Amino acid sequence: MTNILEVKDLCVEVDGQELLHGIDLTIPEGEVHALLGPNGSGKTTLMMTIIGYPEYKVTRGQILFNGEEITGLGITERARLGIGISQQRPPTISGVKLRQILDYVVVNAPQRSQEIDDLAKAFHMDPFLERDINADLSGGEIKRSELFQLLVTHPRFAMMDEPDSGVDLEALSLVGNMVNALLSEEPARPAKRKAGLIITHTGHILDYVHADKAHIMLDGRIGCSGNPLILLDKVRECGGYEECIQCILRRREG
Amino acid sequence: MKASNDRSTEDRSGPDLDLDHFLIEPDTPRPVMISPDQVEPADIEVMASLGVYVTGEDRAGTYILRDFHPLCLVAQSDDIELLPIAEALAKYDWLRERYYWRAVPADLDRYTAQCASVPEPQGYFLRVKKGAKVPFPVQACLYIARDDIAQAVHNVVILEEGAELHLITGCATGHGVRSAAHLGVSECYVGRNARLTSTMVHSWGPEVEVRPRSGTIVEAGGTFVSNYCSLRPARSIQTEPRAWLNGKGASAKYTTVILGSDGSTIDTGGEVYLNAENTSAELAHRAVCTGGHIYQRGLLIGNAPCRAHVDCAGMVLDAGDDGFIHSVPGLRALHADARMSHEASIGKIAPEQVAYLQSRGMEEREAISMIIRGFLGEEIVGLSPELDARIAEIAELAGHGGK
Repeated sequence: MTNILEVKDLCVEVDGQELLHGIDLTIPEGEVHALLGPNGSGKTTLMMTIIGYPEYKVTRGQILFNGEEITGLGITERARLGIGISQQRPPTISGVKLRQILDYVVVNAPQRSQEIDDLAKAFHMDPFLERDINADLSGGEIKRSELFQLLVTHPRFAMMDEPDSGVDLEALSLVGNMVNALLSEEPARPAKRKAGLIITHTGHILDYVHADKAHIMLDGRIGCSGNPLILLDKVRECGGYEECIQCILRRREG
Repeated sequence: MKASNDRSTEDRSGPDLDLDHFLIEPDTPRPVMISPDQVEPADIEVMASLGVYVTGEDRAGTYILRDFHPLCLVAQSDDIELLPIAEALAKYDWLRERYYWRAVPADLDRYTAQCASVPEPQGYFLRVKKGAKVPFPVQACLYIARDDIAQAVHNVVILEEGAELHLITGCATGHGVRSAAHLGVSECYVGRNARLTSTMVHSWGPEVEVRPRSGTIVEAGGTFVSNYCSLRPARSIQTEPRAWLNGKGASAKYTTVILGSDGSTIDTGGEVYLNAENTSAELAHRAVCTGGHIYQRGLLIGNAPCRAHVDCAGMVLDAGDDGFIHSVPGLRALHADARMSHEASIGKIAPEQVAYLQSRGMEEREAISMIIRGFLGEEIVGLSPELDARIAEIAELAGHGGK
């Protein structure tokens, strides 16, 4: 099985401060991984570096997408290769409507315009199409808007930053359906999925979306990796990441 | 119906023009007007880029002034009367008595005085008859085809009670024209429950000096909507639109879009006098500065129970050391029930907005174009092909010049 993403010994700095210190992460084609960890551990930094935000400077290591090195590519090129991102706090852009962005995505495939309307209806996004992107949206609405854009974009590899934060229980089920639809390769074969990376602090989204593997990040490093349910159970049992932190620190010191 | 002014235009930015430098009076006799299909292809191309389509499709009327003389005039609707202003003045005594120089005083400044002194007034007279809702726009083009002339235009637009019209005006210099002056007086009279939408696009050569002055008087229930867009800035532009909302429930909305560039000084004014109960006014200034000086001014004067808002917003893109936007939204409340507000903001394009759109697959320049279009607002975007071309140019510049 080929790897859709390979991150090797990645060091990243922002404003001169190193935030990631030698990350190794491999995601095979068809697998969905979860990235767990306390706030400030570097999860979002890793995701923004993979999509190529210029302020996240790679000082060492490399990123491979589908076997090709993309470390030096711009955001546009990475997006066009098939990397998609759903951000936790996307910017508001005054006067730019959600529909304009979606129309851009399907500009070379006009037959897909109908698909936008169908998806909007299915995921209750129609009221947002003509509104300024991300303006005056609740936390849950932002997550849905982001996932909706990814659904229309059809990325080969979708990265989602905390799709479950600030989302109430009822909306979480809808968000879960959206994530599953996004990762679904063929509706008739639910086991065949696209690859993805989901950041979650609470793990709530994993009640709805199956993850093949989980990684816990701490202080800009991946501290441990394994079965998502076992790792998450441990985190929940201990009431947070403190036990993980102690365990990882003990192992590092030992 | 005479308008009153409480200040002249002396405190505005931009050089005092030496009008002696320009040829002010026609040096050729007035030619016979031609039909639209005889207009030169190069002129047609410039006009079309501003939204003035000489073929006249989907237009109720067309007036083209080329240098000093009317070139072409077509009225395709019985609901309108469109004449060269000189002919209209000869035909109607009431025009001079009640409208001509009544919304803009001839002695407002030296430029209006110049327009008043030309032997044969240039410009057009447009009247929309009572109750007529003209389905297609009337278009006018004030066109300068040679260097070093001063065009002094005077237009009068009258919408009678209940009439509705969209007026599209394109003002431009022809290919290769660098230096000229455009002095313009526009007087608009919006009758009871009438609605006038005026869309004006300017695209000038790099050394052109532009001094339009306009006055609009709106009667009860009338609506005046003005969209002004300066695409290719001249050396200096100084606009001075004023409106008097004299009847109960009258309203005015001005949207001004300036795309500035190095070496130009653009000062866009805007004053609305809210003189009657339940009047409302909105001024929205949008400017994108890639160099040069841009002044956004707006003053709302509440003389009655009214609602008014002025909003100045600027975007600075790679404007060099000298480029700036100066915003001065102003309010003057002279009545206890005048509800008035203002806001102003100036900034650059946020890099995270560009990156966000890039993450959806857009090129950087496509992302910047989309952000600028959003910033300029729905009313303006799409009003002329030239605007799209200019936004693309600015986006290209911003993309390569660093944000």
